[in-house]
Amino acid sequence: MPEIKLKHVVSCSSADSTHTAENLLKPDTYRKWKAQHAGEKQISVILQFEKEEQIHSIDIGNEGSAFVEVLAGHSTSVSEQEYEVILGMSSFMSPSESKNGSNLNRTRMFGGDKLVKAAAEKKWDRVKIVCTQPYTKNLAYGLSFIRFHSPPDKDDPPPSSPKVTKLGHFKVKEEESSSPSMRPGSLFFNRTNKTEITPPKAPQTSYAAVALQGTSSTETSAEKPITKTPPSSTTPKDPSSGKRKFEFKKESSSHPHPKASPSHSKESNSQPLSKKIKAEVQPAPSVKKTPPPEKTSHKKTPPSSQPVELNRLLQGTVFVLSGFQNPFRSDLRDKALEMGAKYRPDWTPDSTHLIYLMDGADSSSEEDDYSDDDSPPRHKAPTHRPEQKDAAKKEPRSAPDDPYAGSTDENTDVEEEPEVEFPIPELPDLFVGKHFFLYGEFPPAERRLLQRYITAFNGELEEYMNEKVHYVITAQEWDDSFEEALNDNTSLYFVRPRWIYNCNERQKCIPHQPYVVVPQA
Amino acid sequence: MSKRKAPQETLNEGITDFLVELANYERNVNRAIHKYNAYRKAASVIAKYPTKIKSGAEAKKLDGVGAKIAEKIDEFLATGKLRKLEKIRQDDTSSSINYLTRVSGIGPAAARKLVEEGIKTLDDLRNNENKLNHHQKIGLKYFEDFEMRIPREEMLKMQDIVLEKVKNLDSEYLATVCGSFRRGAQSSGDMDILLTHPDFMSDSPKQPHLLHQVVQSLEECKFLTDTLVKGDTKYMGVGQLPSEGGKQFPFRRIDIRLIPKDQYFCGVLYFTGSDIFNKNMRAHALEKGFTLNEYTLRPLGVTGMAGEPLPVDSEKDIFDYIQYKYREPKDRSE
Repeated sequence: MPEIKLKHVVSCSSADSTHTAENLLKPDTYRKWKAQHAGEKQISVILQFEKEEQIHSIDIGNEGSAFVEVLAGHSTSVSEQEYEVILGMSSFMSPSESKNGSNLNRTRMFGGDKLVKAAAEKKWDRVKIVCTQPYTKNLAYGLSFIRFHSPPDKDDPPPSSPKVTKLGHFKVKEEESSSPSMRPGSLFFNRTNKTEITPPKAPQTSYAAVALQGTSSTETSAEKPITKTPPSSTTPKDPSSGKRKFEFKKESSSHPHPKASPSHSKESNSQPLSKKIKAEVQPAPSVKKTPPPEKTSHKKTPPSSQPVELNRLLQGTVFVLSGFQNPFRSDLRDKALEMGAKYRPDWTPDSTHLIYLMDGADSSSEEDDYSDDDSPPRHKAPTHRPEQKDAAKKEPRSAPDDPYAGSTDENTDVEEEPEVEFPIPELPDLFVGKHFFLYGEFPPAERRLLQRYITAFNGELEEYMNEKVHYVITAQEWDDSFEEALNDNTSLYFVRPRWIYNCNERQKCIPHQPYVVVPQA
Repeated sequence: MSKRKAPQETLNEGITDFLVELANYERNVNRAIHKYNAYRKAASVIAKYPTKIKSGAEAKKLDGVGAKIAEKIDEFLATGKLRKLEKIRQDDTSSSINYLTRVSGIGPAAARKLVEEGIKTLDDLRNNENKLNHHQKIGLKYFEDFEMRIPREEMLKMQDIVLEKVKNLDSEYLATVCGSFRRGAQSSGDMDILLTHPDFMSDSPKQPHLLHQVVQSLEECKFLTDTLVKGDTKYMGVGQLPSEGGKQFPFRRIDIRLIPKDQYFCGVLYFTGSDIFNKNMRAHALEKGFTLNEYTLRPLGVTGMAGEPLPVDSEKDIFDYIQYKYREPKDRSE
């Protein structure tokens, strides 16, 4: 997690002459920011970032404040009202501690789960920090430090720390060594993708972590997510280029981040930790580490490295069956459902696959129906043949047993099942409830395009002029028949095709008035 | 919370009585909760008034008494009665509804429905038990007992039984009998027990067994006799003291709430009341920049957004945070 660079102090409500607000910009934690006078009710400071950044976590070292709140804003904002709370008022000292002057320097680290989500998702270039201390009148309070971190960056060069691989209780440390000799077990490791676990101490420990080790506050340690970025290189290395050394040590003895205890896992949802846990529970060689934690990284595992469960093989598939007769039809359907697919009795807009029997005139004609121009133009069903399903299930069926299989094995090399279902873009319902009628002459291509758009946006296309029609789309000029139609239906509009095209371009139902056809003077 | 509030004897008893009667009428019959609150507020402020009220105008100076209520006070002082109330009392429907709501488990809505079906008396209810749910049946069964207030002496005995059983189960449990009893009241309407355990925090998963094993233990020793509702965190039921020398004790309404440890003291403060003390304390908290409810105390930021729940380890912590002079439970009956 890269630290966000602080540029300068924009303003400060109160500051001591030695403990100035500028001290917050400096790395030394013994330089503090304190109020000018003891007993001020509230003090605040606004800091400028070097550039606009998303705030992912905040570390705060206290200096006598009871509560600290952090708001984020933009340097372009005109008023202070535009600051948004990113870290709600958080307690650093209890009233009694404040009165006794004890625990003045508590450190707390606020991970993503502690920040206001809406604000943490945006980018900011300014922060306003508000400290209050209502419980004592004889303390000039402030902060000893504050650090902001942006979300972990994928392109960030990994800290050059020794990589440690752990398998069960073994800890494997890589050493740059020229010795080509094979070590016992090194071949074994070659087979495995390196499972990267928490690195030992990152090169620069954050200030907060240093402070943390100094304090005995329990809450801080519980809250702290593992903040060190794991080294990101995952390319499996040739074992001969570097040798590995076994360490039979329990990992907790020498490293700042001992194995995840339940209390840790509860508090921190940070990716590295969960990864670590995962690696510990299943030290299977196939667990592949994705580089630095990223939101979506856990979602899609490379299909090759992780066995897919049977009931998820066809996840996301919505299929329709055609041409199959019943013992086999239900069999096929049940098996697909078992693999996680969804079944629709009839073709629906969300269907992704049409499975139909190749031979037989009736089924192919059904296919033709769907490819017809008048059908919803959105999605053509990729077709799949029953054998593929069986193949996917790895349940080979012997041909004689299957009365239906024999005739369908002509082209077994039809397209493979796509690995990932691409989400079908949602079409906006711009014209829902509106009825259209195309009047007059259009070039065939244009007519087809208009039909497509109207249908796509959920409008109703009428074949003949009737009382349901709201819009008459026409390229022609006003003529008497328009007036006749208006007499029958006063709420009729005569509109140029351009309107439909513009609606499509803007993806919204724009006013039709600029496009209406009017009688010529 | 009990439906019945301890009767208060004051100089202006006549006025407060009719205001409370009007309040109940508005709540039970008209379902007008705000009118109910307005009458109750007026009743409570008049109850505290140190001298006998001689006119509506005099009462109107008090916060919570407006023109309409002042008019009614004038009428009451002049004639000794209130036409509106007489009318209400004569109205068969509204008096029946009012009456049925005294059964535990029958609220204004259920009462209205029953009255519309022609069920107006306890006997009608007994003849139509199939129309009642489990809670209401129990409420009917113990109607007379539940109407009786619980003398402090009995409350103390019940408290001993409960606290001992809880302690035997697990000495880490913390249990407090709240309500007016904790404020030292001489009698109570029901028994409200708050329960917590260090293992149960607001961010941990629900732990119904912490509640259920207490309930089970109290059932085994025959203290709890019937269950009205049993959820993951709240038990409502019926309890009875063991008989002494042939003397049978009435059945009492018992509530047990399991509260996460970090919210326990806010809960204890809230359920100890009084409700008016709570209102005042919350108002003070707001003045000092905090928001207080039955779960948490949270500081308010510069934009008015509430921050994180503050760690609270005793009721006193809450007073300290909002810089309010600590008051023992017995001094919270304002």
